[in-house]
Amino acid sequence: MDLELSDDQQMLRDNIRTVLTGACPPSLVRAVHEGTSDYAELWRQVVDLGWPALGIREEAGGVGLGFVEVALLAEELGRAAAPGPLLATISQFVPVLEEFDCIDLLAEVAEGRRSGSLAVAEGSSWGLHSISTIAEVTADGTRITGRKDAVLAGSQVDSFAVVARDRTSGQLGVYLVERSAATVIPTGVLEPTLGLADVVFDAAPAVVIAAADVEEALERVLQQATTAMTLHIVGACRRVFELTLDYAKIRVQYDRVIGSFQALKHRFADMYLMVEKANALGYFAAVAIAEDDPRRAEASHMAKATAGECQRLLVEDGLQLHGGIGYTWENDLHFWLKRAKAGELLCGSSLHHRSQLAAALGLISEVNV
Amino acid sequence: MKLRFEASVEEFRQEFLHWLADNRPTAEEMAADPAVSSAHCPDWAKRWTKRLFDAGWLVPGWPPERGGRNAGAHETLVYLEEMSRSGVPRTTNPQGLGIIVPSLLDYGTPDQIKRYAMPLLHGEITACLGMSEPDAGSDLANLKTRAVRDGDTFVLNGQKVWTSGANYADFCFLFCRTDPDVPKHKGISIILLPMDTPGVTVRPLNEIVHPQHPDLNEVFLTDVVVPAANLVGKLNDGWAMANGSLAHERGMVWLMSVIDMEMGMQQMLELAPSILEALPEQERAVAADDVVRCYIESHAVRCLGYRGFARLVKGGSAPEQALMKLFASASRQRLARVAAEMRGPDALESKPQRSRRIGTLEDYFGIFGSTISAGSSEIQRNIIAERVLGLPRG
Ligand SMILES: Cc1cc2nc3c(=O)[nH]c(=O)nc-3n(C[C@H](O)[C@H](O)[C@H](O)COP(=O)(O)OP(=O)(O)OC[C@H]3O[C@@H](n4cnc5c(N)ncnc54)[C@H](O)[C@@H]3O)c2cc1C
Repeated sequence: MDLELSDDQQMLRDNIRTVLTGACPPSLVRAVHEGTSDYAELWRQVVDLGWPALGIREEAGGVGLGFVEVALLAEELGRAAAPGPLLATISQFVPVLEEFDCIDLLAEVAEGRRSGSLAVAEGSSWGLHSISTIAEVTADGTRITGRKDAVLAGSQVDSFAVVARDRTSGQLGVYLVERSAATVIPTGVLEPTLGLADVVFDAAPAVVIAAADVEEALERVLQQATTAMTLHIVGACRRVFELTLDYAKIRVQYDRVIGSFQALKHRFADMYLMVEKANALGYFAAVAIAEDDPRRAEASHMAKATAGECQRLLVEDGLQLHGGIGYTWENDLHFWLKRAKAGELLCGSSLHHRSQLAAALGLISEVNV
Repeated sequence: MKLRFEASVEEFRQEFLHWLADNRPTAEEMAADPAVSSAHCPDWAKRWTKRLFDAGWLVPGWPPERGGRNAGAHETLVYLEEMSRSGVPRTTNPQGLGIIVPSLLDYGTPDQIKRYAMPLLHGEITACLGMSEPDAGSDLANLKTRAVRDGDTFVLNGQKVWTSGANYADFCFLFCRTDPDVPKHKGISIILLPMDTPGVTVRPLNEIVHPQHPDLNEVFLTDVVVPAANLVGKLNDGWAMANGSLAHERGMVWLMSVIDMEMGMQQMLELAPSILEALPEQERAVAADDVVRCYIESHAVRCLGYRGFARLVKGGSAPEQALMKLFASASRQRLARVAAEMRGPDALESKPQRSRRIGTLEDYFGIFGSTISAGSSEIQRNIIAERVLGLPRG
C-alpha cells in the first residue's frame, strides 16, 4: 500500500494550489461571504483550465484522470475555501454521469457548458431507502415532485441529478432536472459560499438518466461524493491548522510567543496528527475507489467519520488558540471554520458513517436509511 | 498511490511464508520453555535465531554474512508484516537485534562486531540497553553513571534503572559519563559491559503485570573494571550515537505496532459480538460505537505508517516516526481499554505469560510500556511541535 502522491500527482497539486492562490484569494472568499462579488469569474477560470473535465473520460472530451486526482482537487478547493459549483460538479455530478454513461452530458460538462449537483438527501438522511421524491411518467414526459435538502451548490449549478422513486414501480431512478425548473431555497446562511440549498420540485420536467436498478451505482457515486467531501474538509482543516500555527509563532504574551507554551505545543501536535490521520484515511478511500477495491465502501465510511473528528478538533482549537481575533469577522479564519463545519453536515455526518460501519461489522443490526 | 505491492514483492512474501511454514518452531516447543524476559533466549529461540540467520531471514536487508539477503525496503516491510503475524517471535531479544547490533555495526570496532554483534546474531548471547537512570529518564542527557579511564581500562560507578532484560543479558550497551566538565550532551560515551563482570549487581523490579517474571531491572555498578577496548565509537560521542540507535529503534518499530494493533482489533472483533449480545439493549449501540472508533483507528495507524514509510523510502525525514510512535501506542492503549472495560469483571483474569490478550486488564496495563518508554508520548509531542512544526523551545 502506497498512500504517497506520485510525482505527477504532486505536480498537479502544486499546480492547482498555485492557480487557486491567485484566482481564489481570501479576499474573493470574503467578497462572496459579504455579497459584494460572486464565483462567476473563478468558475470561468477553472473552466478555461479544464478542471471540470479532470475525471471525465477522454472519449467525452475529458482529461481521463482517476479519482485520486479528483480527490486532490477537492482537497485544494477546501484549502482555498473556494466558492462555486466545481466541487459538486466533479465529485457528484460527473460521477453520476460516468456511472450511467451519459456521454453527451459529460461532453457538455467537459466543455464547461454545464455544471451540476446530486440531489439525494431528504431531511437529515443521506441514505437511499427512505427517499420519497416521486418520478412520474405523464403525457408531457417525466415529471419530478418532492423536496431535496442540503443540495451542494444548489443555488449555483445548472442542473440536478435527482434521485427519485417511480410512482408506479416504486423503483429508484436518477433524473436530470434543470435548476430553472425547480424552486431553489438557499440555506446555509452561515456558509453562503457553498451555495447550499433546499430544492423543491413541483412536477418539474425531467430527463431520465436511469429509471431502475440504480442502487449499486448510486452507492458508488455516494462513496465518491463522501470521499471528496472528506478531503475537502481535510483541506479546510489544514488551512485552519496553518493559520493557527503561524499565529502562534508571532503572537506574544508574557514576553514570549504563545507557541512556546507547552500546553499549546501539545495541542498543535495533536492537531497535526489529526489532520494527517484524516488525510491518510481520505486518500486510502480515494485509492480504493480509483482501483475499485472491495474495501471502497468501508474506506469511505472510515474517512468521513474521521474527517468529522478532524473538523471538530481543528475548529475548536483553531478558534480557541486565536483568542479574540479569531472571533472577529475581520479575520479570515472563519471562512475555513465554517467550510469545515459545513462539510461535516454534508454527505452524512460522522455519526451516520460510524453507524454504517457498526452495521457492516455486524455489531448492530442493519440500519436501512 | 496504490493499494498493492509490486508482484516481485509479493513473491518475496510467498517465499518467506513457505520457508516459515517449514522452519518455524512449534507452538509446543515455545510453550514448554517460554521466553520470560526481553533478553531471555531459551534453547528453541537460540536454534530459531541461528536458523533465521543461516537462511538469510534474520535481517533480510543485510548481506548474507550478517544474516540477510540484501533485500530492499519493501521486501523488508512484507517480511516484518508476516513475521509479526506469524505468532513466532522474530527474536526474544528485541533491543539486542533491533538497536544494539545495528549500532555496533555502525560504530563498533571489528573486534567488537566479532565478539558481541555476531554471537548475538547467531543466537548465542543477548544484550540489554543501559540508558535510563533514576535522574535520567526523559532527560537522558542528565545521566551520571561515571566511566573513568585508568590505563587500559575504564572504571564504572553508578546506577541504571528500567534496564529491560538485564537479569538475563550477557552484556549491556551502557551509556555513561566520561567527561563531567563539559555540557551534558558532550560528555557521554557508550561502553560494552559484560554482565558477569565483578561489581555488577542486578536487582529485578517486579512489574504491575506478570510480576513473577520481571523484565525491568536496576543495575548497580561498583568499581566495575572493563577493558578500554570496550568503548564504542569515539569518546564523548555517545549522544550522537544515542540518536542514531534510537533511530534504529524506531526504524520499523511502527510496523510492529501496526500489526499488533490489527491483531488486537481482530481479537476485539471476535470478542465483541458475544459481549454486545450480553449487554442491555440501550448499551449496545454505545459500545458498538467504541468498537467502531477503534476499528477506524487501526486502519488509520496502518495508513499513516505506510505513508511515513513511503516518505522514508523516498528519502524523507524521520519526524514522521514521532507521529507514529505517539499515535500507534495511544490507539493500542485505547483498544485495550475499550476491550477490557466492555468485557466487565472477566477482564481481571490473569495468565502467567508475556503474550497479551485483548479484553484483559493485563493487556491494558501492559501497553503502558509503549506510551512511557523510548520517549514518552509527551516527549513525542514535544518533538513534533519543535522539530516538525517549528515551534520554539522553552
Ligand atoms: C516497559 C519499559 C521498558 C523500558 N526499558 C528500558 C531499557 O531497556 N533501557 C533503558 O535505558 N530504559 C528503559 N525504560 C525506561 C524508559 O525509557 C523511561 O521510563 C522513559 O524514558 C521515561 O523516563 P522516566 O520513567 O524517568 O519518566 P520521567 O522522565 O520522569 O517522566 C515522568 C512523566 O513526565 C513527563 N515528562 C518528562 N519530561 C517532560 C517534558 N519535557 N515535557 C512534558 N512532559 C515531560 C513524561 O512524559 C512522563 O509522563 C523502559 C521503560 C519501560 C516502561
